[in-house]
Amino acid sequence: MSLVSPNAAVIPRRPSPWNRRTAWGWAAVVAIAASLYIAGVGRADVDLFNWGGLGQAGQFFRASLAPDLSPEFLAIIARAALVTLAYAVCGTTLSVLLGFVGGLLAAEVWWLTLFPRRGGALAWLTVRGLLAVPRAIHELLWGLFLINILGLDPLVAVLAIAIPFGAIVAKVFSEILDETPRAPLHALINSGVGPGSALLYGLLPLALPNLLSYTFYRFECSLRSAAVLGIIGAGGLGYEIFLSLQSLRYEQLWTGFYALILLNGVVDAWSALVRRRMGFTSRLDLNLKRRQSASEQAVPGAGLRPSSPSTDRFLQLSSWGAALAIPLCFALLRIDWSQLWAARTRRLWAEMLAAATPALPTGSEISELLRLAGLTLAMSVLAIAIAGLGGLLFSFPAAHNFFMPGGLLRPVGEQRQSWPWLAGLALGGSRIALLVSRAIPAPIWALVFLFILFPGILPGALALAMHNFGILGRLMAEVNENLDDRPVRALRALGAGGGQVALYGILPQNLTRFLAYILYRWEVCMRETVIVGLVGAGGLGRLLTEQVSSFDYARLTVTLAVFVLLTFLVDGISQRMRQAMR
Amino acid sequence: MVWFRRTVISGISSLLLLWPLAGCVSRTPTSPAGEAPAGGTSATLPLVVGAIPDQDPEQLQRLYTRLAEYLSAELGVPVEYKPVTDYAAAVTAFRVGDLDLVWFGGLTGVQARLQVPDAQAIAQRDIDAEFQSVFIANTGSNLAEIKDISQLASLKERTFTFGSESSTSGRLMPQYFLEQAGVTPADFGGEVGFSGNHDTTIKLVEAGTYEAGALNSQVWEQRVAEGAVDESKVRVIWYTPPYYDYHWVISPEVEERYGEDFIERVQAALTRLDPSVPEQQEILELFGAETFIPTQNENYAQIEAIGRQIGKIQ
Repeated sequence: MSLVSPNAAVIPRRPSPWNRRTAWGWAAVVAIAASLYIAGVGRADVDLFNWGGLGQAGQFFRASLAPDLSPEFLAIIARAALVTLAYAVCGTTLSVLLGFVGGLLAAEVWWLTLFPRRGGALAWLTVRGLLAVPRAIHELLWGLFLINILGLDPLVAVLAIAIPFGAIVAKVFSEILDETPRAPLHALINSGVGPGSALLYGLLPLALPNLLSYTFYRFECSLRSAAVLGIIGAGGLGYEIFLSLQSLRYEQLWTGFYALILLNGVVDAWSALVRRRMGFTSRLDLNLKRRQSASEQAVPGAGLRPSSPSTDRFLQLSSWGAALAIPLCFALLRIDWSQLWAARTRRLWAEMLAAATPALPTGSEISELLRLAGLTLAMSVLAIAIAGLGGLLFSFPAAHNFFMPGGLLRPVGEQRQSWPWLAGLALGGSRIALLVSRAIPAPIWALVFLFILFPGILPGALALAMHNFGILGRLMAEVNENLDDRPVRALRALGAGGGQVALYGILPQNLTRFLAYILYRWEVCMRETVIVGLVGAGGLGRLLTEQVSSFDYARLTVTLAVFVLLTFLVDGISQRMRQAMR
Repeated sequence: MVWFRRTVISGISSLLLLWPLAGCVSRTPTSPAGEAPAGGTSATLPLVVGAIPDQDPEQLQRLYTRLAEYLSAELGVPVEYKPVTDYAAAVTAFRVGDLDLVWFGGLTGVQARLQVPDAQAIAQRDIDAEFQSVFIANTGSNLAEIKDISQLASLKERTFTFGSESSTSGRLMPQYFLEQAGVTPADFGGEVGFSGNHDTTIKLVEAGTYEAGALNSQVWEQRVAEGAVDESKVRVIWYTPPYYDYHWVISPEVEERYGEDFIERVQAALTRLDPSVPEQQEILELFGAETFIPTQNENYAQIEAIGRQIGKIQ
């Protein structure tokens, strides 16, 4: 790789601009443009902005300065925050357990090792397909469904988190397993160890730390989810927030938001710290080439010193705390597992199965379903495009190693550190902006956008974008912080300016990972279209809430099936796109 | 300094993790009024009271604590209030037997009774026998006041929002009256909205997001009296004819649990609420009622017919 090579005169052929990557790029551009058109952006006949509603939006934001801080209400909120935390802990614990088992069953390597001949591949594909079903259905719908079987039981909210999240963990864990190097496994098998023991000793120990690291990210997600589930009677912050929303008590609403922001901030910070101490710098390592991450591990992130869990006091305390917190949370929520096999539960199951036998849709119903599926897709595409772009822009100021003094994007050999406080302000400000946007639930953002926009898919897309922007920005900032800084420093040394460094040193390294995150959240956005139905163009989500409120389970099953198919489609597209980017 | 920071952080985070312990300890004394003492061997099962989410949150909490105390004293059984904030969840909880006595809206009450054979509507407020919805419009929409039901046709091609999907006063009856005037939801400009609740309907019409909307007249009048409505931006265009709305529905299961005449006793306890007794006056006031009056299933035949017509009852 020396610069002066004898073949230097032979210029490599420029790769054709028409390849798989650019084809997917164009497809994305077309999809976004079509979604914008459907949303009415740039169409002369569609009014988008409702300036008359600025006053109402102002009322909402002014209340942020005067939250309800009366002692009685604060006591209610503190208790609610505790309940929300408990639901998140229980939901995460259960979803990781479910996901661990499901992940093993959904991993190709598991089946190919245990059943090397036939049937293995078939069983693997079946399990993978089945896992898409719980994933496609939003936690809230799971909650409404489980009430039918378990009644008003705290188990409802715990399972409503654990079932879909368990399926997500299973998918991610199976991918981790399949990408774990198989040399130790093969070595054990070839030396005559049985397949079961070989998996246990040759594969699992290598994959488990990644699962543990992913658990922390899942915990953050469960916390946000627990805040939405309050509306089915699960209690907690979600319950208080939705009650205040019922009668638009903005002051109380903001007290709830501040509690959510605080809780999210503390949990995120704690999880980041634990992972850093354990030597895992990324929240979720989506299936990217391992070679890439191997080169990154050679360059530990800014001043991090991975220490062994057995000597680190903080990690010891954390693990003792977690070991104590999990049973306490189950006890606090008074989880009674026997409910799961009680006689009433079995009777209600049978009733539910009978009621949910799908009714064959008529021709007009099918065309309506297709139209709504199109709207849902457009809303999710628009949401994820905006969230991705925003997250990308905010990931630079929100990463601590870019603009702060001594950072990668500061001019070289700078004499006086110009505006050091400004960089600090940008860091803090952008992080707070990301925290606030992800802590506030999407239905609340939908209401705010509905004040200043006319009804349609745009306010819904913006609400989902706002919430997911906070999540993506945080994930992307973390990628930036774990950047291999050697190419960047080299570019700087050669005299490249800030913009050039970003375009040629940083983005080429990070873009594939950014896009992987964006595609992963796209699926989540699809599912979340269900909860922003109030914008007056919820697509399938609106139809679902209508059918739920009419107890029309036969048609509900059909709509859910369409949702599952849509999730399959989105899943397939995003997998192809990720492959094309490798 | 590093060790110091580390100690502080680990200390704080371990405290955070121990927080649930504190919650566990403090939970017991704050259990709802009248709840059966935990751990009792032969404690009577409590009568579980619920309500659809249609009122102010702080009021709801105060209201049902008072009501549970009152009912417990009158009936001699423990009474527990369980909060639910979703209409469909309240109906489902009643169906599976986790709620025994529920304050339902007109439509949700019918939905609940159809799913629980022999469930009974037992009482309602004096105002519920002649309840009304109100149609409101943004002043910028230039929608004229409606004198006759046929003039509802002027709402065609306008943007319009209902409240919650399951609301009687915010959706079912307005949609029924609109259809009588030949206006179906497909006739509005764009998709019809479902704001989720009465207060949001007011704010969205006030903001001009929707040109018009329909809601519970009691909520509207209360908000106007509080001064929470900008009357230069939103005004009433029509009051609907009266219909039967909110009512108490009780499950037949309670008679097996507490004795033959229990349903009658609950009905009597509710209708006996006396405005001249201060504690009872407070309950009535929180409900926005003068008294409770007896009611019966037959009063909701119209609601059921409309529910079937519109597709809210299968």
